[in-house]
Amino acid sequence: MLEQTGIPEASDINGVFPSDERLAKGPVAVIECFQRIPCNPCSTACRRGAIEAFDDINDLPKVNHEKCNGCSLCVSRCPGLAIMVVDMTYAEDKALLKLPYEFAPLPEEGSSVTALNRAGEAVGEALVVKVQNTPALDKTPLVSIAVAKDLARTVRNFRVTDDTSAESPGILRGDEAPSPMVCRCNDLDLDNIRDLMKKGFTSIDEIKRVSRLGMGPCQGRNCIPLVLGELSRFLGKPVSELDPGTYRPVVKSVSLGAVAEYDGEALTE
Amino acid sequence: MIKTDLLVIGAGPAGLCAAVAAGESGKDVLILERSHTPGGQLVKQTHMFFGSEKQHAATRGFDIASILLDKLNAMSNVRMVTNATVLAAYDDGLWTADILGKYEKIMPQAVVCATGANEKSLAFPGCDLPGVYGAGAVQTLMNQYGVLPAERAVMLGAGNIGLIVSYQLLQAGVKVLAVAEGSARIGGYLVHAAKLRRMGVPIMTAHTVKAAYGKESLEAVTLWALDDKWQGIPGTEITYRADTLCVAVGLSPLSELLWQAGCKMLYVPALGGHVPYRDDNLRTSLPHIFVAGDAAGVEEASSAMVEGTLAGLSAAEYLNAAPADIKERKNDCLSQLAQLRSGHVGERISAGLELARIKEAAGIC
Repeated sequence: MLEQTGIPEASDINGVFPSDERLAKGPVAVIECFQRIPCNPCSTACRRGAIEAFDDINDLPKVNHEKCNGCSLCVSRCPGLAIMVVDMTYAEDKALLKLPYEFAPLPEEGSSVTALNRAGEAVGEALVVKVQNTPALDKTPLVSIAVAKDLARTVRNFRVTDDTSAESPGILRGDEAPSPMVCRCNDLDLDNIRDLMKKGFTSIDEIKRVSRLGMGPCQGRNCIPLVLGELSRFLGKPVSELDPGTYRPVVKSVSLGAVAEYDGEALTE
Repeated sequence: MIKTDLLVIGAGPAGLCAAVAAGESGKDVLILERSHTPGGQLVKQTHMFFGSEKQHAATRGFDIASILLDKLNAMSNVRMVTNATVLAAYDDGLWTADILGKYEKIMPQAVVCATGANEKSLAFPGCDLPGVYGAGAVQTLMNQYGVLPAERAVMLGAGNIGLIVSYQLLQAGVKVLAVAEGSARIGGYLVHAAKLRRMGVPIMTAHTVKAAYGKESLEAVTLWALDDKWQGIPGTEITYRADTLCVAVGLSPLSELLWQAGCKMLYVPALGGHVPYRDDNLRTSLPHIFVAGDAAGVEEASSAMVEGTLAGLSAAEYLNAAPADIKERKNDCLSQLAQLRSGHVGERISAGLELARIKEAAGIC
């Protein structure tokens, strides 16, 4: 499922693909935007009104496939890189996919690359037909690749280098894992904090006074949220009911000399 | 001591927009930025933004930073200082800062706190090994400083930051071995997830890190599956040889200064942590302090920019320098925010914002 894996399902893709009749007429935009998020540049990018204006900025884009001529103006404007242009009329047995591609090196026109599906798996060969990288594209180059027609709904990416060094991660033996560090400034780990809680130090200020928790350079920004979580579990109370301790001046280390030498002229020039 | 009409803390998307909106009123605006460069997270956002044209959709983040800075630089009443960390807020209205190593006192009439957020960390065995990074830190190294931080990386977290940084690691030539996500669903935008998947990167939902291993620095990362109570399931371990583990498990609002100033605060998990109560004008429980961006609750940069504009307008209004069309402009901001928050991710944020909303003071006038 998309929300668990990040991979759109075939039904998601088929739902946003134009009809076979429309595909037979020439290039057309396909937008893989399946979640309501506040974003509308696609609709304002289209000069033909083929992406319907949004009532709400969270609307999903609706492409009027009859108005769309596959010009690809919207492709590099989509912050989610969710748009490609598909041309099923490119050749007898090949479809042309125009994809946004933000990686270096860009492929060379005429070169062969490995076509990848939406999980990044190799599914075939593709020929790089065109590479566009004009200033108007603002660093989102467009790469047109030709793929076998029956892969037009499968391919969504490609790989320039032939890096197939897939590695199987091994299980690491030995559980000599140390107690997690909580406060690096004062060298307090989770066992130290839990011991203090068991001894009856059950507020941030108490733990701070006995251990110097939060009194180092980070001034508690890293450790205090962690210890609040531990206290919450130990006391069975939500964090909202716990006192986060007193925030005293100053919020970062400052030398006594700087204060002593105060002359009111730090900002004069 | 520096006197200014408005102090804006932070020159990220929210702070820059607040300074632009307030600067147009003619009031003196001082922006203090802790980093050596303005722009906040925008400068490392090499991807195109979502949203609509009003929030610069389809423009890359670093280009948006330039657009906002050009606007600011044209205003003689706005002064921006980098390498300037606001240190403290005192209850008599005084603020202090470290400006290029010198101590400074500031007495502003109004303040917009746009301090942003901090990456959350996670405690697991080996989490302190060199090579275990916040994902945002890796993004800064790569996209801002041009440093390649990794050869083989594992990403923890499939929210937008985890997904986007994984994609940018691939663009930099890093082998991204897997993206693990504790929850059962991908939290970020599915279009970002699809971009990664078709590059062959597995996204493993209901998985987290069990431990990180290495002698001097990270050498291997073990992931395992989680049951529905978020407990690791023995026997499901997978170990990757990796030199980098990026942790992208959320952000916490940077709210210390608001605590110190005395703003009324609330813990809202949907907003990332402790946030100030605020009204519809982004005014906190203290009349002269406004909040915008991730400091008000962790969201996207698009809404941070709109919030910044709204807070800047509200601050100008508080300083009796409201533009003639303030009502329309504020309503425009509110309707943009409502739209940005109406989608799938926005529902949870909207519910969180409702908890922290001061209802009685909807209008300042």
